[in-house]
Amino acid sequence: MPAKKRTVRIGNWYKSDDENVHFVRKRKAPRPAKLRKIVPGQVLILLAGRFQGKRVVFLKQLKSGLLLVTGPFKINGVPLKRVNSAYVIPTSTKVDVNGVNAGQVDDEYFKRTQAQRRKNEQGFWAKRGELTAEQQTAEKTRLDGKRKTQKSIDDALIAAVKKTPLLKQYLGARFSIGKTTRPHELVF
Amino acid sequence: MVLAKFVEVGRVVKINYGPQEGKLATIVEILNDKRVLIDGPTTGVQRQVIPIRRLTLTKFNLKGATRGARSGVLTKAIKKSDPFAQYAQSIAAKKVAKKALRAKLNDFDRFRVMILRKRRSALLSTQLKSLKKNAGGKAQAQAKGGNKKK
Repeated sequence: MPAKKRTVRIGNWYKSDDENVHFVRKRKAPRPAKLRKIVPGQVLILLAGRFQGKRVVFLKQLKSGLLLVTGPFKINGVPLKRVNSAYVIPTSTKVDVNGVNAGQVDDEYFKRTQAQRRKNEQGFWAKRGELTAEQQTAEKTRLDGKRKTQKSIDDALIAAVKKTPLLKQYLGARFSIGKTTRPHELVF
Repeated sequence: MVLAKFVEVGRVVKINYGPQEGKLATIVEILNDKRVLIDGPTTGVQRQVIPIRRLTLTKFNLKGATRGARSGVLTKAIKKSDPFAQYAQSIAAKKVAKKALRAKLNDFDRFRVMILRKRRSALLSTQLKSLKKNAGGKAQAQAKGGNKKK
């Protein structure tokens, strides 16, 4: 495990090679953040990012500690997404997720592929790195696979959402604070 | 406006300040111009001296409450005619209950209330429009009862 060395200003002082670094903290595997009473199926309000204010359904906590949520996509445009639990308000509304299988989705699902990285690497003014033909087909199959997982999870969810009147419209609406709302007094 | 609510023995009062805020009790004895002795054996208010400033007088009286009556006597009188139940029927009590209910609404409830209010207002406006059209502007708008708002 690489020891963290403090950067030394270049000057008259050079560290000798055999000098011991005082205290090395062993870097542990990241601990999943403790979930503050958020239950699968619970509706969460996203507080930051592109989808701020959107109400989404919580599916499960991933190994990295992030929360896996989905809109569902057809209802409010939020896809399968990882979200930091610190930027979320849990509401007391729950959707039945018994029929939903989010087992195959994990942190690996969201990792950027070579092709995606290549696309981004050239910089703003330069021409975007183009993909070879096989990379394009690989991308296509990857995206199709993603659409399928999204659809399989969402279909089960939407069926459950439809059972409660107005729940679909609720998930489609954004949360906002007006002039007279007192957030500290709101019960979520 | 004639003064109708007096500080008297038997007057049902609501405590509006302090740890017992919101509870009802009966005035049992008047001590001086600023303090009274109250008791609420059925409403969970301990027999105590309390400044009148901390009370709101209601328009109800406990029949059969005598000066300095003990809690048992009061309980018997309440059994005969319960002014606290009458108070619960009053508009003031209903307003308090409504406020408490609204404070408890969760996010989904608030959304539903918003949708229902919009629907009711839409119903009212269509009614109003049709009435105006039919009676040539002279008609009085009759509010038709829509969905019951929380």
